[in-house]
Amino acid sequence: MTDIAASHVFHSESPRGGSRAPLLGDPVVLPNATNESITEHICAITLRERAFFWWWIAIIPATLLAGVLVVAISWLFYAGVGIWGIDWPVAWGFAIVNYVWWIGIASGGTFISALFYLVKVDWRTSTNRIAETMTLFAAAAAGIFPILHLGRPWLFYWLFPYPDTMTIWPQFRSPLLWDFFALLTYVVSSILFWYLGLIPDLATVRDRATTRGKQILYGAMAMGFRGSDAQWRHYHAAYGVLAAIMAPLVVSVHSIVGLDFAGAATVGWHSTQFPPLFVFGALLSGFAMVLLLIVPLRHFLHLEDVITGRHFDVLCRMMLLSSLCLAYAYMMDAFTTFYGPDQADKTMFIDKLIGSYSLVYWTTIFFNVVLPQLMWFPRLRLNQPLVLLISACVIVGMWCERYTIVIMALRRTHLPSAWGDYHGTIWDWATLIGSSGLFLTGILLTVRIMPMISMFEMRALVKSRWREGERS
Amino acid sequence: MSHLVAEFASETGLKDALQRLRAARVGELRTYTPMALSGEAENSPLPLIIFVAGMIGFAASFAMEVYANAVSYPLDIGGRPEFSWPAFMPIAFEIGVLFAVLGGVLGYFVVNRMPRFYERIDECDLMRRATRDRWILSIRSGDQSKLARAREVLDLLHPTAIEELLQ
Repeated sequence: MTDIAASHVFHSESPRGGSRAPLLGDPVVLPNATNESITEHICAITLRERAFFWWWIAIIPATLLAGVLVVAISWLFYAGVGIWGIDWPVAWGFAIVNYVWWIGIASGGTFISALFYLVKVDWRTSTNRIAETMTLFAAAAAGIFPILHLGRPWLFYWLFPYPDTMTIWPQFRSPLLWDFFALLTYVVSSILFWYLGLIPDLATVRDRATTRGKQILYGAMAMGFRGSDAQWRHYHAAYGVLAAIMAPLVVSVHSIVGLDFAGAATVGWHSTQFPPLFVFGALLSGFAMVLLLIVPLRHFLHLEDVITGRHFDVLCRMMLLSSLCLAYAYMMDAFTTFYGPDQADKTMFIDKLIGSYSLVYWTTIFFNVVLPQLMWFPRLRLNQPLVLLISACVIVGMWCERYTIVIMALRRTHLPSAWGDYHGTIWDWATLIGSSGLFLTGILLTVRIMPMISMFEMRALVKSRWREGERS
Repeated sequence: MSHLVAEFASETGLKDALQRLRAARVGELRTYTPMALSGEAENSPLPLIIFVAGMIGFAASFAMEVYANAVSYPLDIGGRPEFSWPAFMPIAFEIGVLFAVLGGVLGYFVVNRMPRFYERIDECDLMRRATRDRWILSIRSGDQSKLARAREVLDLLHPTAIEELLQ
């Protein structure tokens, strides 16, 4: 049952066969998918004896990139932050840009899995596992940067409030410390939420496993879940409440990241609109990254029956919506700058528009605001290469936005005599690229050993659709 | 204690059997199903556990912040108040969430007495499909006459399979 033939079980019944293109008006599950076929298919992928060929093609560059990260971090720990481009006045460089970028990408996944669980939308069910996995590894990639950025990373535990021999305490009024607690909570909660969501599926995989090793592995992870009435009852009670907590958590996390900046009296940062601006940007990059993962996974894992035109349609609409929110925030950023009294703010903003780094700003606008407008057209929302291209551009655009916020503001301080410049060094770039290797390696390993579609939630979805069909 | 285990192909079949066996008072009934049964009791202590854990986290971290920044190590920064409670809210919220999530997940395991890797019922082959597409009902009793009566009731309901686990 773990052979390749079983993994194509959907298509034996599919009238069109092969890789079915997403269509407008697709239901959220294609009619030929049944509970058995979904469970069979997803378990067959998870329990395959040998990895797919494409998986090896993907994992090799991913681990090489992760290796680049290890080298970059080792050299950083040996030589210190002087290997990076940071200096006065630009003391926050790539590390903070990358941190904000990754944590933003992570947020989109929690949004899909928690918020859309609460509002009970049907398209959430086949995308939430992929989205949560993305959150997990994006948050992991984000989490390393604040520590690398510390300068003396071995003293990171000073952030913890513990009674120390120096008899001092952290400054709890500082947004930078809030950020530490927000990130800690977010990473731990994301892992636990992801794991809790996996338990019934791990039990299914355990019961489908044929080798002793896999039975023990999945059995241990399933913790003895058998689907008894009490286990289900408490499960849904706990999961619903946790989803209701995760949704505000993700908004708080990214708002606090925004306050890291807004809390400082720095040119261009000291603005009350930063928390929503950061949340909008986080959603945009989160939806873009979910699309970037869903398109290839749908193709390579043959998920055409459960990830349909409906999912493309709705996720692209969400991307468009968050792009419009972000466009509004960019407009207000310009408006408050020129409406306000601070000359330094205005000088900095004009430098952003026409200065030596203006290309970064206009790339931000083009990729995050202009390009997603193509998503107004329903046909283009189903064009997979185009969706991939736009999503990739949005991811790059969001990185440019963070670069604009962090670096452009710092290089034009209040005093023109203190103006400076900034360029990332090879080690900055190596750390950035290496962090994407960490992300990709994590995603690929999870795809290999974990069910990527929530099977038990699909059962409930198929059942409810069946009932609807009966009524109408 | 012996088990009588019946397998049904549909949820309605299982619920029908559950109702009749409850009325016949044949022993302890348990269901093992691929998804939650609809229409069953939904009471659970977990929302309360999560709420209490979250409140403890919130209160404890708020108290810690006040103690650290206002009592143990107060800093006079331009005469600003030491008990600046709004600035303590974000961390209190985050730690409250952390405790709530930990309380929810750990509480789930405690309430269900998990991990429990082995139960007598696992000997039953029918259980392998309970996590996939079959609806399983088990009747547990030490009294053989009760199990015989349960068997009579079950035979009328056409389960797809019946299995017995003796002592």
